[in-house]
Order: sequence, then C-alpha cells, then structure tokens
Amino acid sequence: MSDYLLLIVAAILVNNIILARYLGNCPFLGVSQKMDTAVGMGMAVVFVVTIAGMITWVVQYAILNPLGLEYLRTIAFILVIASLVQLVEMFLQKSIPALYKALGIFLPLITTNCAVLGIAIINIQEEFNFMQTVVFSFASAVGFSLAMVLLASLRERFPTARIPLPFAGMPIAMITVGLLALSFLGFTGLVK
Amino acid sequence: MRDLIKMVVVLLVICTTSGVVLSYVNEATIAPREYQYIKFVQEPSIKAVLSGYNNDPVKDRMQLNLGEDQEGNPVEKVVFPAKKDGKTFEVAYSAAAKGYHGPIEVMVGVDPEGTLTGISIMTHSETPGLGARIVEPKFTDQFAGLDLETTKLSADGGKVDAVSGATFSTLGVITAVDAALEQFPQIKKEIF
Amino acid sequence: MSVVKEFTKGFWQELPPFRLVLGLCPTLAVTTAAENGVGMGLATTFVLVFSNVLVSILRKLIPSKVRIASYIVVIASFVVMAELLLQAYWYPMYKALGIFVPLIVVNCIILGRAEAFASKNPIIHSFADGLGIGLGFTLSLTVLGSIREILGNGTIFGTSVMWSTFEPLKFMVKAPGAFVCLGFLLGLMNIISRRRPAH
Repeated sequence: MSDYLLLIVAAILVNNIILARYLGNCPFLGVSQKMDTAVGMGMAVVFVVTIAGMITWVVQYAILNPLGLEYLRTIAFILVIASLVQLVEMFLQKSIPALYKALGIFLPLITTNCAVLGIAIINIQEEFNFMQTVVFSFASAVGFSLAMVLLASLRERFPTARIPLPFAGMPIAMITVGLLALSFLGFTGLVK
Repeated sequence: MRDLIKMVVVLLVICTTSGVVLSYVNEATIAPREYQYIKFVQEPSIKAVLSGYNNDPVKDRMQLNLGEDQEGNPVEKVVFPAKKDGKTFEVAYSAAAKGYHGPIEVMVGVDPEGTLTGISIMTHSETPGLGARIVEPKFTDQFAGLDLETTKLSADGGKVDAVSGATFSTLGVITAVDAALEQFPQIKKEIF
Repeated sequence: MSVVKEFTKGFWQELPPFRLVLGLCPTLAVTTAAENGVGMGLATTFVLVFSNVLVSILRKLIPSKVRIASYIVVIASFVVMAELLLQAYWYPMYKALGIFVPLIVVNCIILGRAEAFASKNPIIHSFADGLGIGLGFTLSLTVLGSIREILGNGTIFGTSVMWSTFEPLKFMVKAPGAFVCLGFLLGLMNIISRRRPAH
C-alpha cells in the first residue's frame, strides 16, 4: 500500500508531468488563461489519461509483445489514443450530456497532448504492472491538473500587472512556469 | 455509402502500406541495432569487468542455449569470453532484475571457479543521487572476488554494503548478480 | 520564387517554436545540450519533410472525414522509422532523446503543417515548407541548447568554453531553466521583431 502512496506522491510532486518531465506543455500554456477552462481541461485529461494508460498497457502486453511487434508501439498507441478520444466524445455526448458540455471542447485537443502518449510510454518503460499503471496514470494526470490550476490562478492576475510589452502573453507565462517549476524542484528527494 | 467504402479502403491501404514498409525497415535494421547496443551499452561494461585478455570479446561472443524456463521458452544467453592466447579464462555476460524503478541490467565477469571478477551496471532508472549511486565504483568494486554465497547484504551475513538510503536498488543489483551466477554452472559446461 | 519563399519562411516569419509557438515539449525537454538540440531537430525534420511530401501526394485521394486519422498514421509511420534508424545508426542520440523520439508523433508542428499546408499545396512546395520549418526548428533548438549548455554546464557541444573559475548554473539544465530561458528568448524575439518592419 505504501508503495502506491509513494508512487502517487512522486508522480504528482517530485516528477510532476509538466514541471519536471516536460510533457503536455501545449495545452498547459494554451488553456491556462482562465481558471474554469483550466479545471475543465484538467478533468478531461485525468479521465482520458487513466483510461488510455489502462488500454495501452493491455495492448502492449496482450498484442504487441506476444506478436513480437514492439517496434510498432508508437503507432499502435497513438491510434488507440486517437480512437479512444473519439469514443469518449461520442459516449459522453449520448449518455452524460452534462459532462460532455463541461469537457467536450477539450477532448479533441487531448489527442495531440503529449502527456497522454508520454504517460502511456512511461508505464511500459518502467515495467509497471497493471495496478501501478492505473495509479501512476491517474496520479500523473492529477499532477498535470494541479500545475494547470496553479498557473491559471497566477495568470488570472496578469491583466492587472504591469508587464513590459514585449514580454506580455507567452514570454511572461513561460517565465512564470519556470518559477513554478523552481518551487517544485524543492520536492526533489522527498521520495527516494 | 460510396463515401464510406472509399474512407475504409483509403485507411486500410495507408495502414497496410505503413505496416509493410515498417516491417521491412525493422528487418533491415536488426543487425545494426544489435551492433550499436553491444557497442555502446555492453562493450564499456565488458571492458570494466574483464581484464588481461588479448582477444576481442565482442567479436568472439557466443550465443548459448541454456535449456528452457518454467514456461517452456528456450533460454538463450550471449556470453563474451576473455581469452589469452586462444584459451578462455574468464567470461562476461549480463542479467537483469527489478530495482526500485524499473529494471537494472548488470554485466558480470566470472572466472572458471564461479567467482566474480567484477560487475558493471549497464542500464538502470534509479533515483539520481540515491539509487543511481549503484553505478559508482565504490559500490560495484565490492563485488570482485565474491561468489553466490557471499553476494548478500552485510546485514544478512554477506559482504555487500548497501548504497546508503537505497536498499532496494542495492537488492536489485544483488538479485541480478545472483541470477547471473545461478546460470554459471551451465555456461561453464559450454565454454571452459 | 515562391518555392524559395516557402523554404525561407521557416527561418524567421514562421520560425518554430518562437514565432509559431508549437512543439514546446521537445523544445524544453531535450535542449539540455546543444548536440541534443541538433539531434531532435534533425529527427523532427526527417519526419516533417517525408510526412509533408506524402500528405501532399495523397491529398486528392484522402476523403476529408478521415484525413486527420490518415495524417496520424503517416506521421506515426515515419516516427517509427526515425526511431529504428536512430537506434541503428546514432544510438547515443537515441538514448539521450529517450521518450521524446516516439513523442515526435504528437509534435503539433508536424500535424499542423500536414493539415494547414501539405494538404492544400503541390509536392515541391510542401517539401520546401517541411524542410524550411524543420531546419528552422533545428536552428532554434540548437541555439536554446547552446545557451543552456553554456550557462548550465560551461560547455558547448561538449567543449569547455567558460573561464576556469566559472561555476555552472545547474538550474539552467533543469526544468525551471528551460522555461525561464525560453520565456526570455520569446521576449527578445518580440523586441527584435518590433524593430523590424512588419511583413
């Protein structure tokens, strides 16, 4: 049990998917201007990453490994993720319209979110078992959402701040993320 | 309907072509990939664990068949013999075990009595600053001169001092070394 | 003339990832050293050029409903090819880039060029576009990698360049340094482009 706890803490704080592993930056910077969109995107990512982590794990160990097709991992995983996102979208639209309304517009963006594919590949590279895969995928996605919410809360104050003109927009957001990452560096060594 | 058929056909053709081309590229690169792996991952470790030879252990490598595992799959092992004037006097080969994060691959050098001449860590993904210190000579040098009996933690009556704060990583290395040494009697029959 | 323009726009007007803020993950992750920047840039260029050409060839055959899926298959195939070739002929780089080699497939620059350019333009133009954007990307990564390597490690392409008492700013080769450095470069680009006449 404590192993899983360590895995969770490590995935959220020590090796934060964005601030330490550099994954998922495009949506991270793209939709973190407002708090509510940040929360929506975060939830959609948690949802998709966890399911994608499970399915890609099964694909790797039930299809690719037995057939000796490990070299096709990249192509297989991206196709699984792309179709999964489509299916989730269709399913939510039909069955849970309320959730679809909240997450719908973020779903297409997720296919090209490298955090999803990245986490799926890390699961395989680290040779996690199925349970670890579920826990790690979920925790990493929570780490993504945490970073996103933190950044959004900072960026919401930008309009009232006096930022030098050439640095307005993306540059100052980048530097803010850098400082955020610096504070997360403080968690290094928290989990061995 | 015609549109649907066209869509399916186009996708099918693209996927099939991609599969055929990739399997060809995969086939074509097997030999150079294996060579690069040996050159960059295994060769430095082989040089670290063997000494006093005047042949090229990589060129003289042999693939041995060591029977079957519990599931009936054949166990094959590539071994790198160290020869002096054409006579094999030591042998290097690798084994892996689970560390704290993912697998640890260890190259061991063994003399005909089954005593280690040295070990070298080839790949691992342990925590930097803690578990990753298993690659330091201070740790790996302890293994020279040990055998299956003595490769245990000093706390368990063996002669290996754990890397401080990284007992799991240390145990991973010991497990890998023991796995290698357990195969030694069979390897000995084949090459000495 | 216009083919040349498609090629050169990748070096300033649409220089990724500065003017075209896409493909940030590999930009930030692999630029801990100048050499890695070159490796990542070239691998991306390889995929970008071939996928652009193939998408352009197939542009009239692919029904628009399945175009994104087709592009992804095309791009992913070239990524797998790049992975295999790097493993076979440039192993140290394959190791250094690690997980970011397969992740080229989700680099938005590539899908972006396929969708916005190659699917609407002839083969030669698509080739020039892919090559220009790819080499521009390589250039950016190399510059960023050089800056981080000099400040964070005191070396460039592995050769020591700083005075002997220079204490490397270790944080430059870690994640925070990546973000801060890219942020400042983006700001600098904005200052420069405001001085230049608008296009």
